[in-house]
Amino acid sequence: MSTNSLKKVSLAAGAAGVMAQTASTALGQGVDGLIAGIKSSSDKVRTEAWLGAGKAGAPAVKPLAKVMTDNDLEVARAAKRALWKIVRYTGRPGANQERRAVETELVRLLGDDQPVAVRREVLWMLSEIGARRSIEAVAGLLKNEELREDARMSLERIPNRRALAALKAGFEAAPEDFKPNIAQSLRKRGEEVAGYPCKKLVPTKKTDVKPL
Amino acid sequence: MKKSNKLNRREFLAAAGAAAVSMPYLIPSGVLAGPRRIGANEKITVAHIGVGGMGGHHLRDMINRRKKGQVNIAAVCDIDKNRLVNALKTAGPGVEPYHDYRYILQRKDIDAVVIATPDHWHGVQTVHAAECGKHVYVEKPACCTIEEGKAMVAAAKENNVSVQVGSQGRSQPEAYLAHRYLVNGNIGHVSRVDCFHYPSPEDNNPVPDSNPPAELDWDMWLGPLHWRPYNQRYCHGVFRWLLESGGGQIRDRGAHVMSCAMWWMGADGTGPVTVEATGTAPKKGLWDSAVLMDVTYTFKNPDWVLTWRQMPNNKLPKAEERTGKEPGGKISRPGYGAIYRGDKGEFIHWGGDGGTWAEKKARQWELPAGGKDVYKSPGHKEDWFKGIKTGAKTIMNIEAAAGVANLCVLGNLSYILGRKLEWDQANQTIVGDRQAQRMMSRPQRHPYHL
Repeated sequence: MSTNSLKKVSLAAGAAGVMAQTASTALGQGVDGLIAGIKSSSDKVRTEAWLGAGKAGAPAVKPLAKVMTDNDLEVARAAKRALWKIVRYTGRPGANQERRAVETELVRLLGDDQPVAVRREVLWMLSEIGARRSIEAVAGLLKNEELREDARMSLERIPNRRALAALKAGFEAAPEDFKPNIAQSLRKRGEEVAGYPCKKLVPTKKTDVKPL
Repeated sequence: MKKSNKLNRREFLAAAGAAAVSMPYLIPSGVLAGPRRIGANEKITVAHIGVGGMGGHHLRDMINRRKKGQVNIAAVCDIDKNRLVNALKTAGPGVEPYHDYRYILQRKDIDAVVIATPDHWHGVQTVHAAECGKHVYVEKPACCTIEEGKAMVAAAKENNVSVQVGSQGRSQPEAYLAHRYLVNGNIGHVSRVDCFHYPSPEDNNPVPDSNPPAELDWDMWLGPLHWRPYNQRYCHGVFRWLLESGGGQIRDRGAHVMSCAMWWMGADGTGPVTVEATGTAPKKGLWDSAVLMDVTYTFKNPDWVLTWRQMPNNKLPKAEERTGKEPGGKISRPGYGAIYRGDKGEFIHWGGDGGTWAEKKARQWELPAGGKDVYKSPGHKEDWFKGIKTGAKTIMNIEAAAGVANLCVLGNLSYILGRKLEWDQANQTIVGDRQAQRMMSRPQRHPYHL
């Protein structure tokens, strides 16, 4: 099989996917069209919708977040994937303005009015594209028992001084049971932390299975 | 807080030692042990971490080696109680069961560990084992992120342990024949290698999240990954079809087929300058790795191109007919392999893992006087044992394996981001793309981290 024929076969097989990537945005359906596609009962339509969501940008963030908790798990999953598409598209080089607009919308989803599952996903999205405007809201969740570990990891990944400062402040304010976690993030960011040595090699879970 | 670039092993031990005064339970005794020197005729004492799937295969293989007097098996470990009980029955008396692999790392009588856990554990467990002075056999692909690969290389080097990664295709008899055939210029200068593979599966039976089964420690299965509710479609085995924990066929089989390519092309230690991927996403279900992928890696100095292409089964190159008497026997898995394109001809192989099948012309070719011979592995485990006992570099050492895993990781990153990536091999970093640079690592849950 020649190089060209191999490539043709592969490309033809992937053609549907490639077309889908551009379908919904090319049709200019806007956010309403996107959401309608995401809510479709057709696997094909839903997939085309989320694959084409990238360019929908900031205006689609809040509406998609709403659908992320839809009772139909495939619809909810498509909304989540659409939101990730937006994050990945707006994080591209040279798209700072778009990225900031999406970041702003994502930060708004970190409030107590949003379900934990949505906020957890948003924390990871911000870990990829978050910058200075994310820090305060993410750091605020270091006090939330359900989300503090994801907030810590999100801050660990955001490579600016504010994130580091937020981790330091979070460490000082953290309850004893959470200090080792933040200490780990601080070490990853090049800080030396006294009093909370790494516990990664300490076994904690015994088995009740007996040897033969 | 003082600034430091990193916490190396010595500093870590010092920190742990200082803490011992007030909190002695924080110091695992095994951490202080370096690798034991093992004589040429001495048995290696091994333990198995992860004993389902490939882990079960490794355990059975090691039991055969125990019968031959090559090894002692000291312990088995799994976070699935059913799997642990089964492994214990298979291994027999004298083998200690563990739920938490770190108890194994504490034991000074254990020389080496075989790690066959889901991919998202490979990096962390290999680094931990190396820091505790254990030699490591770890399943492929070596790592899930660029950062993990770097940490694995550093940990093996700093702690002087032998690491063999389970891309065992390099150790197959016909891999040797293919390698020898190619490096002797039989198809001329090779400027392109096209890997082929059938599609990755789709999750056609999606189910809602639920409580984990009683025998499974879901929290520890997740380990370094961020917490999320249990779903049956995460495990076991099917973790491969999730980008976070497996990464699809490009990682599962790419770590075999591209491993052969990098070795035969003499490209270990090198990397591409650009990576560009497209793919077809699954239409439903939890699994999110691409069903079909098309990735192009461009190498410079020397210039060559490596591609990874998945296609429907009926479009795959036809497998060679065989009698079964060939060194590798009949081709039992014809759905993947690679075509090597030279300026004087082409060469094809199928498989690339436990079965590696070279085209007839390579099998029949005889090395002429003055021809160039290549390393012939005595077997993937034997090669590892040799590394443990002599310090020789293993055939799929961690530097080479991290390099191959990086190809898979970068392919998936380009697919996820929907854009071409530039790679700086010397500095092991993506160039000019801040989001992609952040994705070279993934923060890990405490305490399951590098």
